[in-house]
Amino acid sequence: MEQARNTETDPAKETPVDENILGFGPGLKHAAGILFSSKTAVAGLFLVLFWVLTALLAPYITQYTPTEQDWKSPNQGPSMEHPLGTDELGRDLWSRLAYGARIVLVVLPVTENFWIPGGTALWGVFASLLIGAGLGLFSGYYGGWIDEIIMRLLDAMMSIPVILLYLIIVAAIGASAVNVVFAIAIVGTPGVARLVRSLTLDIRTRDYVRAAETRGESPIYIMFVEILPNAKGPIIIDAMLRVGYAIFAMGTLGFLGLGLPPPSPDWGSMVAKGREFIMSGSPWAALWPSLAIASLVVGLNLLADGLREELTRYQ
Amino acid sequence: MAKFILRRFLLMLLTMFLVSIAVFLIVESSPGNVAKNILGAFITPEQEASFLAQSGLDKPILVRYAYWLVGSDWHAAQKINLPLKRLVTEKGFVEWWAVDEEKRLVRWELDGDDLIVNIRRDDGEVVKKKDNDRWRFADDGSARFWGVDRHNHAVLWEKGLDQEVWTFVAGTGWMVASGGPIEYIPLKKGFLRGDPGVSLRTGRPVAKSLMIRLRNSLVLAGIAFVIVMPLALFLGVIAGLKEGSFKDRFLSVTGMTFSVIPEFATGIFLILVMSHWLDLVPGATVFGEQAPWERPDMLILPVLTLTLVELGYVLRITRASMVEVMRSPYIRTAMLKGLPYHKVIFKHALRNALIAPITVIMLHVNWLLGGIVIVEVVFGYPGLGQYLLDSALYKDINALEAGAMIMVLLAVGTQLVADIIYTFLNPRIRYS
Repeated sequence: MEQARNTETDPAKETPVDENILGFGPGLKHAAGILFSSKTAVAGLFLVLFWVLTALLAPYITQYTPTEQDWKSPNQGPSMEHPLGTDELGRDLWSRLAYGARIVLVVLPVTENFWIPGGTALWGVFASLLIGAGLGLFSGYYGGWIDEIIMRLLDAMMSIPVILLYLIIVAAIGASAVNVVFAIAIVGTPGVARLVRSLTLDIRTRDYVRAAETRGESPIYIMFVEILPNAKGPIIIDAMLRVGYAIFAMGTLGFLGLGLPPPSPDWGSMVAKGREFIMSGSPWAALWPSLAIASLVVGLNLLADGLREELTRYQ
Repeated sequence: MAKFILRRFLLMLLTMFLVSIAVFLIVESSPGNVAKNILGAFITPEQEASFLAQSGLDKPILVRYAYWLVGSDWHAAQKINLPLKRLVTEKGFVEWWAVDEEKRLVRWELDGDDLIVNIRRDDGEVVKKKDNDRWRFADDGSARFWGVDRHNHAVLWEKGLDQEVWTFVAGTGWMVASGGPIEYIPLKKGFLRGDPGVSLRTGRPVAKSLMIRLRNSLVLAGIAFVIVMPLALFLGVIAGLKEGSFKDRFLSVTGMTFSVIPEFATGIFLILVMSHWLDLVPGATVFGEQAPWERPDMLILPVLTLTLVELGYVLRITRASMVEVMRSPYIRTAMLKGLPYHKVIFKHALRNALIAPITVIMLHVNWLLGGIVIVEVVFGYPGLGQYLLDSALYKDINALEAGAMIMVLLAVGTQLVADIIYTFLNPRIRYS
């Protein structure tokens, strides 16, 4: 949903960044220095860290499980037993928020009893990186009609309103965590592919690629071993921004009833359900998840914004 | 330039074509079907089959796509061997009639073994009489007839083969009737000719509902646009005048915050503050026939939500553009030669600074459409987005396809317009 915005406002995308800044090893200290010299970045870092820690420690900092119902006290305000109140089935809102953060950032529930590490939003971004980078590399390296076809198709995809893509994809294939990953991946792919293609077009002309070609390396080797690692910097910055968009998308899908099926503590669906009880006088179930998603997304953007500002100042 | 526009226009048509095929394929290949979505999980197989046949959903996918795109009336007219006519009655209902050899409007029904013709006179009265001469006898002795029934289908009847027809009447439930045909073709003119058929969910013509919904959405977006643009450009210029000042930082961070918070969260905050706690304005929209004019106060929160979300984005673009202009040498020259500050800003800086935002705003429509869908759902506003969401959830293919086409047309069309405007604003751009 955000790639339109992204392509216009993101100078980091156009200017290849010194890899050391985001690389590991000696660059790390440098990166930390940059981070802490920007107040907004620090504020963003705290917001993000808060949610990451909450997600990681969810089972230890909550009294209840996210699906535990207490039918005697539905739609309660904050109290000693329930720090943030309860929802319409008497489920503890703080537990649901914490486990909701877990789904976004730490685990991907594949089926009811089986989950894999890495949050739903993170997997979505990872999948779009994988497909987008593949397409971009092929397109940029081979050029010609392959490039023309791939790029025209991706252009067509990019011109479709993102909300429409989400609606069609998820409404058609049904609501589940894996399908949300799938939707985020499809929507994110064209943007990644464009970025990787433009980087590939640049790197392809370098001497070390020529050398590899002269050595007789296969195109696959050249694309994935010679070109891709050298395009790492901008791709990582782009991916960081995309995590924010993916969380945004997850919330929106959940709100439209296209996210994780109930009773998963999905923030978007919590808002959609809680909204029905605002008029009857219990705003808490809608308020907290809205605040949670807003603070996490704002935190990520403050962090990325602060970093980018400091980076461009150094350049 | 003309070549460029033509190329982009063709690309737009190609996009719409691809999207329409993709929507068809995705809906087709996904589990579940529209009959169960609309009529509930407890319908019998006979009822489901009857519903699917009457909606024309038992046809092969290629045929259905062709019918949706270019209409089914020409194909049906060939089978019936009479021209067909679509008319709208005084009450606003769409009716299909065949024009017989004597230029009368006719359609048929089956009563036992008898074919009854309904003749529509010019004053709208319908005369019924037996019309058994029209049966066509095949070699094996069966009698068949292609005609128009009273529910806007072209149908194939077979004499003596009284098919049962299940129809669902809201309020009464399932009705079974005899005299059913063995094949149906729902009559429509096709999307290209402005009639994508009836909505499977509501039974009303898609084109009509869609136009009303589109108008409602455009009203909402239009009001938001009129408020956002001057405000955002003004604030953006203020922020960009002095890069790094407190005003700049405050406006940038606030704008960014509002533009990245999902629309539904902003909407909920506004409902809670303005409606629940302060009780100033209604927190949802409930419109009757006269939507959206009958209760202007209900528009306040949806418009405010859209405004907040859009404001930040345009503000940031304007600010970036303004900052860039203020750094440029010609502004420094103007300052150094002693021009008054306001003259430098109004005569030199503003003009160049506003080129970028104006075109970027047009490109932003794609994003704005997404925002509108969410805002409509949050406030229950009867707009295009809500319609599209419902259609997608029910797999109401006629409505979903048509809505999707309108969305793509809006998004790609405005991108094209943006490119054209840009060439006029910035003469340095040449398209080859």
